[in-house]
This record gives sequence, C-alpha cells and structure tokens, in this order.
Amino acid sequence: MSDELIQIETPFAFNEENQREFNALIGRYPVKEAAMLPTLHLAQRQAGYITPAVMKYVAEQLEVSVMKVKDVVTFYPMFFEEPVGEYVIRVCHTLPCALRDCKGVLEHLKAKLDTDIAAETNLAKGTTPDGKFTLMKVECLASCDVAPVIMVNDDLYKNLTPEKIDEIIDNL
Amino acid sequence: MVEERRILYEHLDVPDINTFDVFRQYDGYTRFEKAITEYQPEDIAKMVMDSGLKGRGGAGFSTGLKWSFVPRDIKPCYLCCNADESEPGTFSNRYVLEKNPHLLIEGILICCYAMGIETTYVYIRGEFTLGKKMLDAAIKEAYEKGYLGKDIRGTGLNIDIYTHPGAGAYICGEETGLIESLEGKRGQPRNKPPFPAVEGVFGKPTVVQNVETLCNLPFIVGNGVEWYTQMGPTYADTRANPPTPDPNTGTKLYCISGDVNEPGVYELDLGLTCSELIEVAGGLRGEEVKAVIPGGSSAPILTHYELDTRLDFTSLTLAKSMLGSGGIIVMNETRNIVDCLLNIMKFYAHESCGQCTPCRWGTPWVRDIVQRIADGDGRKSTMTRPKFGVAENGRWGDTGETEEIYEDLDLLESVANNIANVDTMTWNTICVFGIAVSWPAVSYLRKFRPEFEAAIREGKLVTLPVAEATVPPEENYAYQQRFIPKEFADL
Ligand SMILES: Cc1cc2nc3c(=O)[nH]c(=O)nc-3n(C[C@H](O)[C@H](O)[C@H](O)COP(=O)(O)O)c2cc1C
Ligand code: SF4
Ligand code: FES
Repeated sequence: MSDELIQIETPFAFNEENQREFNALIGRYPVKEAAMLPTLHLAQRQAGYITPAVMKYVAEQLEVSVMKVKDVVTFYPMFFEEPVGEYVIRVCHTLPCALRDCKGVLEHLKAKLDTDIAAETNLAKGTTPDGKFTLMKVECLASCDVAPVIMVNDDLYKNLTPEKIDEIIDNL
Repeated sequence: MVEERRILYEHLDVPDINTFDVFRQYDGYTRFEKAITEYQPEDIAKMVMDSGLKGRGGAGFSTGLKWSFVPRDIKPCYLCCNADESEPGTFSNRYVLEKNPHLLIEGILICCYAMGIETTYVYIRGEFTLGKKMLDAAIKEAYEKGYLGKDIRGTGLNIDIYTHPGAGAYICGEETGLIESLEGKRGQPRNKPPFPAVEGVFGKPTVVQNVETLCNLPFIVGNGVEWYTQMGPTYADTRANPPTPDPNTGTKLYCISGDVNEPGVYELDLGLTCSELIEVAGGLRGEEVKAVIPGGSSAPILTHYELDTRLDFTSLTLAKSMLGSGGIIVMNETRNIVDCLLNIMKFYAHESCGQCTPCRWGTPWVRDIVQRIADGDGRKSTMTRPKFGVAENGRWGDTGETEEIYEDLDLLESVANNIANVDTMTWNTICVFGIAVSWPAVSYLRKFRPEFEAAIREGKLVTLPVAEATVPPEENYAYQQRFIPKEFADL
C-alpha cells in the first residue's frame, strides 16, 4: 500500500489542545518515531478510531512511512481500526477472573446490551446498533484481587455482581 | 501465623500520600537526599549489590549484578521502569502507581544517581489510566519542588522522568519488547545478546527495572544493607566450594488471587511457605487446595503435595517452578485443571508476538489440543506400550507394566516441548515467552494427568477429587529432581 493509494475520506488534524500535548510529547525522545504510541492514543481519543487519514497524519508528524504506522496500529489491541461505541466495555476473562465467574459477567452483559462479543477484527459484531456500547473480552487487567472486573472506557469496576453491572450500565 | 511486614506498602493507605507534602511527612525523598549527600554513586551500586536485591518483575536477576554490566563510559544511558504489569495474577505495581507514586519517583532518582542516568521512561500499560494520571501528577509536583529537572537541589544532577503508555500487548513487558515498543515499533523482543544493559533503547545502555524493584531502593539506602539482609532467607549455593551465599532478601509484594477468602497484596518477608501464605490471605475458599500457581500464569503449577514449598526465588527454582512476578493463584477442589490450562493457553495464543515460528504456530496448536480435550474430542489409541516410572531397582526406567496411549497428551507434551523444552531448559525462540507457554502446559499435564486422561476417556470434562487427580510425587518425573534448599547459617 503506497501512500497515494490510501483513500482519505475525512481529513484529520490535531485540535489545538492535542497539538499542544503532541508538541510536549515529541520533545521527550531523541527520535520522533518513539512518540508513536502516545501520539496514536491522542489521535484515537480525538477521532474515535484510527482511520487511514489518522495514520497518514501521524506518519507525517513523526516523519515515518504510513505503513510503519499501520504496522504498529495492527499490533496493539488497544488501537481500533473500526468505529466503536461511545462506551467500550472490556471484560477480563483470564484465569483469576475466570475463577470468580467472569463468564457470568459476560453473559449478563451480552443479554443486557443485547449484543455479541466483538472480535479483534470485527468490532461491529460487539457494538450495539445505536453505537452506544462495544463489548469486548480482554486479558488480565492486573486487578485479580477484586475479580471479576470490567473496564468501561478508562474506569475500572470491581467485584462485579449482576446487580452492580445493572447499576453501572444504567448510570451511563 | 506469619506477620505481614509492610515496608513498600507501609504508607499506602495514608490519605493523600500521593501528594508531595504528605509523602514528605513520611520521610519522603530523605533517602534520596541521604544518597546524594552521604554516598558516591559507586557506593550506592555497591549497597544494592550487597543487599542481594533480586528483580521483582519476573526473571529474579540480581539488580546489583545487572547494574555492573552497564558500561560507564557510554552516554547517555537510560532507565526504563517496567510498569507494564500484565502477567495474569499480578497486581502489586498498580497500587504503587495509583496510591504512592512519589515512592517510585524516589526509587528512580536513586537508581539514576547511582548509574549516572539523566532520562527515565516509565512504560505503563495502556489500561492503567488512573495509575498514569497519578504518576504524571506526582512527576509534575516533583519538578515544581526541585526534585526533578535541571540541577536537582544544587547538586548539578539533571534527571527527567517521562511516562510512556503501552497499548494492550502483554509481550511489551518483556524487556526488549518494551524497548522496541518504546521506540515506537511493534513490541517484538530482540535477540540477546546484546543485552539491554549494553545496547538497549535508542542503541544506548539501558537499565530495565520493575516498579517494585525500584521501590526497594529508598529503603536499602535509608536503613542500610544490614537491616535489609535480615529479612528473608539466605541460602547456600553449594555449587561453589566453599558454598557462597544465595540471598533471597527483603520483602515481596505477594499478589494472591483465586480461591482464598481475602485476595489481595500482602507484603511479607521472602521465604514463607505456600500454605502459610494461604493462611495469611484469610484461608482457603473451599475444602481442599487442588493446585497453586506460584509466580504468575507462566510458572509451573504446584500440587497439594508441594504446599510446604517456600515462596522465594531459590526454593521455587529448585522445585522446578519460579517466583516470577509473585502472582499466586490458588485453586480449590472444584476446579478442573484442563479447563484452567485451556484458559491460560488461550491467553498465550492471543499474546504471542508472532516472530518465531515455534511460538507463533506452536502456541495456538497447544491451545487447540487442550480445547479438543476439553470439548471431549481428545484422541486415544487402542494400543498399549511399556510404562515408564520408578522401576524395581528404585531408579527411573521400565516398570514392566503397560499403559494406554493417549495420543493427544503425547502430542500436547511434544508440541509444548518443541516450543521450549522444560527438561533441558532450552528454547527455540527469541524470548522466554516460549518457556512461559510450555512450562504451564507440561507441568499441568504431568502433575494432573489423571484429569486429562479422564476427559479423553469420558468425552467430557471430569473434575476428579484432589487425591485422584494428582500424580503422587514418587510416580512423577517432574518432581524427581526437587531439592529443599538449606539456609546458609545451617552449614
Ligand atoms: C513474556 C514476558 C513478560 C514479562 N512481563 C513483565 C511485566 O509485565 N512486568 C515486569 O516488570 N517484568 C516483566 N517481564 C520481565 C522483564 O523481561 C524484565 O526481566 C524485568 O522487567 C526486569 O526488571 P527487574 O530485574 O527489576 O525484575 C516479562 C518477561 C517476559 C519474558
Ligand atoms: S517467543 Fe513468541 S513472544 Fe517471544 S519473540 Fe518469539 S514469537 Fe515473540
Ligand atoms: S484476571 Fe482479571 S484482572 Fe487479572
């Protein structure tokens, strides 16, 4: 994929606040490329997900090829290449959570949101039609003492029970 | 009952300990001040060496020794603090970041002073948004108070700390994966050598150190080596003549989860036994311990025969397992080991970075075999073969009996051992992720073989009573080489 072939639907550029944050970031590393992950996080927060336009913009900012950005985006599970819901619900399903019935949590959320679980290459599968929620499974969130846990966007919820889940979702 | 000894976690629950002023009230930054006023950098490095501090991130490598490999004449040198904490069952770094970030900054300052480092990157896993926020705020405060930045406290020291977010890949916890990721690439581990200490991030010497390891430094400097080495057992390494001391000093932030009544982080002297730790954590939830994972999901499993194993670096290595990250996962009699292995293998199959063929293909293959067994489609042959075990002469060999052949179990062990061989401890992969896959696979299978056989025989998952599910030590090759270490003073 050469740069010219990328279809650019909506152009992307950092807003003023993110531009300022980006400028601060770039000074931290001896090479610009090293700012890749924080820059992509910033861009994803602004754009919602990593579109080809975002990749092109980030590539220009960091002075690397677009392919290099794509390479990184595909490697890390936290970067989305498809639209996701307003609330991304991450359900931990690794062993310590499994020992505390994370299956029940997952089933309850599936039923409550009436959606399937997103696959890494098919996020739409786990996204509600109104675009409000995306339900996905993730690996250990380093909170096994308070298992089972979920993350809703940036917030962690612990020791979940069906009632607690209802309360969390209803309050969103 | 063993008492908790809170050192790193002593002030964790003090309100507002995350702010500079409160941290200062509890001796905050005085240890760093002591370091720069009373000691030369080499003295600090020597203290760390003498303290016997071993890395808390997974490998358990001597911190002082690691520092001694760093060439002093190549500048700049970098410190990467590993706050990626993604080993299943581990959650102690999170609390440091969220509640007491200044302690980490003080540890980093001491390391930087000792090693002549000016730039530190703290690689924080992407999901730790709160932890990153708290640490960023603490770093900002430290700059304002003159403990970071240019010419710190008039000493001419320049030290900067930057946080760097990960993005959800477990393999970025591996030190060279972390370095690649920090450089803005996919987090694929590098071939070693060169080791990071010689050629790390941006091609420069790099010290990679876990959060907990760095948090030990203020206390080693503040209270002295003698005080520090009193905690935890020091064994004798009898390979040397006369035996050399093999320290397991200090406290460990044991993270205990699974089937215990009060899961959580317990700070205890290294060297307590598995059953003591379960006692400290409020006792077992259930009737009987079936199995314990002693060091994060990568560690070989322990059975109920092995609950007297001491949870320190040396004892667990001699028990053919490892302390790893100190994440202890307890399973009671209701748990099915095949099911647990399936869960863990799904994790590893998802997290392999894909660089090496044995790992990229082998790991999903192992997962698929376990899945097949769990689904009741495990394969068994109708033939039999001679059974190996402890023979009449008391040695390992042909017992004269025959056994049935479970093809899928042979295949499972063979595939796993071809990613990394657990008996010879050799691997065909770039990083030790390979051994983190085959260790659980082979140890679960060898120690709980009856449960795997039952699943294949019955065509469904069968949870056997603990005594029946576990292979007794005398019949199991995996246990044959288990040693109980002796404390140094006893010799
Ligand atoms: C697959 C893999 C994952 C690892 N994950 C972590 C981790 O999440 N956190 C960590 O501190 N060390 C992790 N390590 C260990 C690091 O490679 C490295 O040994 C450690 O950060 C060194 O710091 P220490 O000496 O202070 O322990 C991991 C190692 C491997 C092989
Ligand atoms: S062993 Fe696995 S995780 Fe490690 S470098 Fe090879 S493919 Fe990647
Ligand atoms: S397994 Fe869910 S938080 Fe660790």
